[in-house]
Amino acid sequence: MAVARVPVQLALPAPRPWWRGRAGLVVAVALGMLIAFLGWRNQLLWPATLTWNALAHHLDDFQTWLSNNRNVPHPSVFFRAFNGFADFLDHIVGWLTTFLFKLTWVGTTALGVLLVLRFGGRRAAFGVLAAFVSFAAMGLWEPSMRTFALTFASVSLSLAVGLPLGVLAGRSNRFRRAITPVLDAMQIIPAFAYLMPIVLLFSVGPGAAVVTTMIYSIPPAIRITALGIRSVPTNTVEAAAALGATRLQTLLKVQLPLARRLLLLAVNQTILFALSMVVIAGLIGGQGLGDVVTSGLYSNPALALLAGAAIVIMAIALDRATEAMAIRTDPAHRHLTEGRRRMLRLYTLACAAGVGLAVGLAHALGASSVWTRSTAQEWLLRQVQSALDYVQNPSTFVFHITNPVGNFIVEYGLTPLRSFFVETPWPAMTFGLALIAFLVSGLRPALVTLAMLALIGVTGEWTNAMDTASQVLVATVLTMIVGVPLGVWAAESARTRRVMRPVLDVLQTLPQLVYIIPFIYLMPVSIVPGVMASVLYASPVVIRLVEAGIREVSPHTVEAAGAFGATRLQTLLKVKIPLARDAIMLGVNQGMIMVLAVVVIGGLVGSGALGYDVAQGLQQSLFGQGVLASLAILALGTALDRVTQGRTRKRIEGLS
Amino acid sequence: MVDTAGSLGHDIDRSGVPLIRASGVWKIFGRHAARVIGTPDADLPRAELRMKHDCVAAVRDVSFEVWPGEVFVVMGLSGSGKSTLVRTLIRLIEPSAGDIQIDGKDVNALSRAGLLQLRRHTSSMVFQHFGLLAHRRVIDNVAFGLEVQGVAKAKRLARAAEVLELVGLEDCANQFPDQLSGGMQQRVGLARAFAVDPKVMLYDEPFSALDPLIRRDMQDEVCRLQLETGKTMVFITHDLPEALRLGDRIAIMRDGKIVQLGTPEELVGSPADDYVQNFTRDIPRSHVLTLRWIMREPQPGEEDGPQLDVRTTVRHAVPLIVGGERPVCAVEDGRVVGVVDREAVLTAIAGEND
Repeated sequence: MAVARVPVQLALPAPRPWWRGRAGLVVAVALGMLIAFLGWRNQLLWPATLTWNALAHHLDDFQTWLSNNRNVPHPSVFFRAFNGFADFLDHIVGWLTTFLFKLTWVGTTALGVLLVLRFGGRRAAFGVLAAFVSFAAMGLWEPSMRTFALTFASVSLSLAVGLPLGVLAGRSNRFRRAITPVLDAMQIIPAFAYLMPIVLLFSVGPGAAVVTTMIYSIPPAIRITALGIRSVPTNTVEAAAALGATRLQTLLKVQLPLARRLLLLAVNQTILFALSMVVIAGLIGGQGLGDVVTSGLYSNPALALLAGAAIVIMAIALDRATEAMAIRTDPAHRHLTEGRRRMLRLYTLACAAGVGLAVGLAHALGASSVWTRSTAQEWLLRQVQSALDYVQNPSTFVFHITNPVGNFIVEYGLTPLRSFFVETPWPAMTFGLALIAFLVSGLRPALVTLAMLALIGVTGEWTNAMDTASQVLVATVLTMIVGVPLGVWAAESARTRRVMRPVLDVLQTLPQLVYIIPFIYLMPVSIVPGVMASVLYASPVVIRLVEAGIREVSPHTVEAAGAFGATRLQTLLKVKIPLARDAIMLGVNQGMIMVLAVVVIGGLVGSGALGYDVAQGLQQSLFGQGVLASLAILALGTALDRVTQGRTRKRIEGLS
Repeated sequence: MVDTAGSLGHDIDRSGVPLIRASGVWKIFGRHAARVIGTPDADLPRAELRMKHDCVAAVRDVSFEVWPGEVFVVMGLSGSGKSTLVRTLIRLIEPSAGDIQIDGKDVNALSRAGLLQLRRHTSSMVFQHFGLLAHRRVIDNVAFGLEVQGVAKAKRLARAAEVLELVGLEDCANQFPDQLSGGMQQRVGLARAFAVDPKVMLYDEPFSALDPLIRRDMQDEVCRLQLETGKTMVFITHDLPEALRLGDRIAIMRDGKIVQLGTPEELVGSPADDYVQNFTRDIPRSHVLTLRWIMREPQPGEEDGPQLDVRTTVRHAVPLIVGGERPVCAVEDGRVVGVVDREAVLTAIAGEND
């Protein structure tokens, strides 16, 4: 018997029209901007009436006034205090350098190696020894010691400021809420942008280098310290309170000791952040390896690369040494007995005696303050130079890859985008970007974006800023093309992860400027080195964010998908990547900020735009213009951050 | 298995004043706490209160007294406000309203220094997750309370060693907390609280994180320590058998209020409402109820039978009553107050788990 089948009418919800989806709207806004570009191309550039032309002169005058008032025979109290502070910063690096030189090269090596041997163990001490040997071999002993002194001074001062503030932020919610936006801003601003204001205040010299480094390395110190204080179990703090411990006793006896691991991580990260600023500090009078890199940029690129390698070696050695010392001295895991404690005290004494003996002997035998005898520098430089020559030679295999790639990027990426950004009518550009910020991130970010774009216009840097923005966009797209697949791959395969990790580690410790040098040779087309270097600089963080985002997807959800018969690809495309969307969006945001930081440094080697104005400000003392360009970089960074920050902002501590 | 504290015979001194007296204690989390207390809104159910005033009432109008030597248990499910209540006693959480007296001192009126003195010398506390200092040896952990008081090192270590012996951990003095099992770690927590020789010990679900067998060991330990030292205790738990085992009196909390306060047998024998009855349903009544609950008026000629104290639990009376020929006389202060026969005992046992 056949049963008549009545087709069931299900009331399917009508598919959402495209203009209701956010992605559709963003595309629509972009199309509107494109139409404005095609229709009124080059007709509505930022009007001169909306530019404060005299600003640059005012800033120049301020600089003159400042230096005049500072250098009179009897400056006022304010300037005397300020000069004292600046002198102190200048001298502290000098004292440390002198101290290291007085120890002689033998004493310095003995101090470093024995200190790490005592507290960090044999492996870490061996790493330190290897670092010293490589400095000697590269013939870079003296600049290495100067860089170490600069880093040590900056790190000590950063910690002196950062640790107390971090403790405060860890204990007081109100203070943390107040300081978080400041820290966010400090981490968004590219380091290159605050060079000019600092030079304006401190003029070029070691002091300025220390301040620059501190601005960059204080935020992680504060953040990680606060995290450490907060991570102490509540019930332990409560137990101390219940026993009648005062707030100070709780801090000293409970919170600080139990936060030890993260406090030492804060020290470790502060060191690494400081070291990655060494090169930029070299631009404004920081002596040492950074100076070798920046001055060798044009005249001796092989030496600059060698110095870059020395910085990486120092970073790795310091990272491993501090990490090993942190672990080996942790009382919660060492379980020392009285007998062992006594043994260790003797060991400490022996090491101290060893250092003293080494210094004494070195002085008696007349060892020099730095290692200057036989080095392998000549040989190393020849190797590096021949590698550089090879990639640049039009008849080689490499050239046939890099040249077309570079040209392709310029022809189909940078040139059209540059003209789109620069030549689109400014109202369409400002309101278009603000509208996108509104759609992606919300009302407040949109208003901030609008204000920042207006600021750029007022400073008279509109064209340059739009030029920089086009470079940032191209580099960010390339970064995502590289970063997302690699991140997915690393998340899916443990082996890939293992292989990639050390590479990413090294890439993340390389100072920003060092990335650019090889590309000057690989792709010698004006803007391209800056863009490619920024891709390389930002990719590790994007890869890590994407990888972490995908690996954080709940295993139960993945298991459920598998139980329904989803293939690995289906699981990836329908479950993991959609659930990791926030992490990928954060990758775009962070990637863009990091790309901006390198793209503006590219101004030193022909990227033009905002970075060029800053470079000119630094090299030719065009202060006003440099400061305005810095301001524009700051504004552009903030605007780009707000456009891409999304609605749920998550900052991953210590990663960026 | 349930044993009640009554059979252990704590030495409670009700002659003087209570050691702890809490009256009308409130704790409302949220900015508008002051606006709620004293208005009819204070009695709103949780969800409505949150909707209306955006605040959470954790403790509502709680009053009780704890006498010297008594073990006072506060029992309730998670979220009933019991942990908040114990914290308000020494102002680890500031109460929103109410009056708290400990050892004759008005806790709310204490200055910062006075509060520290109270926490250092009068009270001490044992926590659910131990709250030990991972970077210190066991003996340093135990001495911590004395350290914050400023006691000299040699003296406080000597005292700590003494207390470690009391809890049976004298061999672990130089070890670190992470080398000990959970049960042993909580013994360290106990020792730390004991080391300062407080008048009152506060326990915040101290054994909830432990395995059942170890939990039982630890309960025995607390019973033993209580008997040996006669300390007053306020004990928080969500486990009714634990409450019945340890408590002289038990307060059952629900939604921040005390729904019933009484001895174990009062809770089991005459639960105040369905909520309490639900809790006590699975408790073997014969283990909690005493003869007082099942005795009847003596009839002539029965008053010379075998005698038992009226506070004896039914379970302990079984051999004498069921094995003997005659009804047993329940005695209070040397006077016969009732008799218990075989039928009453069997009814009490059979009537279990109704």
